[in-house]
Amino acid sequence: MNRPAVALASAAALFFVLPLAGLLGRVSWGTLGADLSSGAARDGLWLSLVCSVGATVLSVIGGLPLAWVLARMRFPGRSLLRGLALLPLVLPPVVGGVALLSAFARRGFVGARLYEWFGVQLTFTTAGAMLAETFVAMPFFVLAAEAGFRSIDTRYEDAAVSLGARPFTVVRRVTFPMVAPSLAAGAVLAWARALGEFGATITFAGNIAGRTQTLPLAVYLQLESHPDVAIALSLVLVVVSLGVIVAMRDRWAV
Amino acid sequence: MRFGYAIAALLLVGCGSAESRTSITVSAAASLTGAFTEIADEFAAAHPDVDVALNFGSSGQLAAQIGDGAPADVAAFADTAAMDTLAKAGLVDESDVFATNELTIVTKPGNPSGVTGLADLKGVVSLCVETAPCGKFAAQVLAAAGVTIPEGSVTRGADVKATLAAVAEGDAVAAIVYVTDARAAASRVDEVEIPAASNTVAEYPIAVVRNSTNAEAARAFRDAVVSEGGRKVLSAAGFGAP
Repeated sequence: MNRPAVALASAAALFFVLPLAGLLGRVSWGTLGADLSSGAARDGLWLSLVCSVGATVLSVIGGLPLAWVLARMRFPGRSLLRGLALLPLVLPPVVGGVALLSAFARRGFVGARLYEWFGVQLTFTTAGAMLAETFVAMPFFVLAAEAGFRSIDTRYEDAAVSLGARPFTVVRRVTFPMVAPSLAAGAVLAWARALGEFGATITFAGNIAGRTQTLPLAVYLQLESHPDVAIALSLVLVVVSLGVIVAMRDRWAV
Repeated sequence: MRFGYAIAALLLVGCGSAESRTSITVSAAASLTGAFTEIADEFAAAHPDVDVALNFGSSGQLAAQIGDGAPADVAAFADTAAMDTLAKAGLVDESDVFATNELTIVTKPGNPSGVTGLADLKGVVSLCVETAPCGKFAAQVLAAAGVTIPEGSVTRGADVKATLAAVAEGDAVAAIVYVTDARAAASRVDEVEIPAASNTVAEYPIAVVRNSTNAEAARAFRDAVVSEGGRKVLSAAGFGAP
């Protein structure tokens, strides 16, 4: 029983390892430093950092109340709401980008008013890239946070209330410490997803060097003109993502 | 565990089942999307035993794929330079130029920003990446007209279709694309002509890939493209004769 399982598992592991090994084999180590400090690479790295952190913050701000409502309140249409909140997990990101365009582009029903009233245009801006990343990343946070809220035994909170704790104290001293690991895991997952976002970003925010050209876009577009830079940037994405997943697994057992 | 072996066996059998049908992959420039889809339909009707898979993208991208060993049988590009690269590497047979194309400016319907020429391209302009022929030609056209657009106001599409979509679907003020793409997009965009003095003529070469496993079918497809029927489809799409 064990031996075939191990054999099949090894085959599956190889399937993941071989492409990565291939990538490593193509890295030109001698010029790695220069490749990563080239203009497009530096812009992409910085922009990716800004956008992914921004998207994580937005995901937490929006996702926290959403996860709490989904976990703690009973109301008709809750399943539908959860489905909608998690839809970007399964939606092709390009479709997400097109959907964002139809709402937030200059001719979109929200975007038109944003522009008319406040002169705000989201497409082709760093804020737009952040918004696109938030769209695909927030479900990861909602999923983890909702599971966290559900796993809490509410009797702890009831006990705190019965002992005279005010609501804010209950949240601060009882609820938050218990969900913190789930929230942290959700935030890290959302951040990692935002970092790798491609389709929604290029569709909605475009591909402007230094403004919306994040790492994955830079990899895609440098692959023909500067393959060494593209491979170097891919290496960064692989190392960061792997680091995140391994660290998460050890700390929060996701 | 017996179940696992059964699945593995099924997979192996599935892969091994031989087919008598021939299939060819045609890697073609994105600007050929409409014309080649039509030509492939006609080809399929005339050659019921051949399956044609069309792979559209930027010529630079497709040439890089073939250079990396992607299994294409026919290559049709928007630029002779991309084909020359493959020819030098000995990856394609002799190529023929089968069509020509020119560039044009497209704006949103009704031309809301009042673009009258290259010098008016202000705001976010959509151009192809410089490795795609449409990006290279756009740079030539802008240089010929003495117009410089700061890179910070340029959004780059991976191929000509993506470049046009940034105007048709997105918020780019204008894009520089091929005349044929402007025509294919019909009412989704307005066209502003680029004067012949600063315009450029793109030549489209086609060739059979040397390591094609179905060279005969590949040659038949190439012949269909350069045939009178193929020319008719191409000129209806707005391509010029070589």
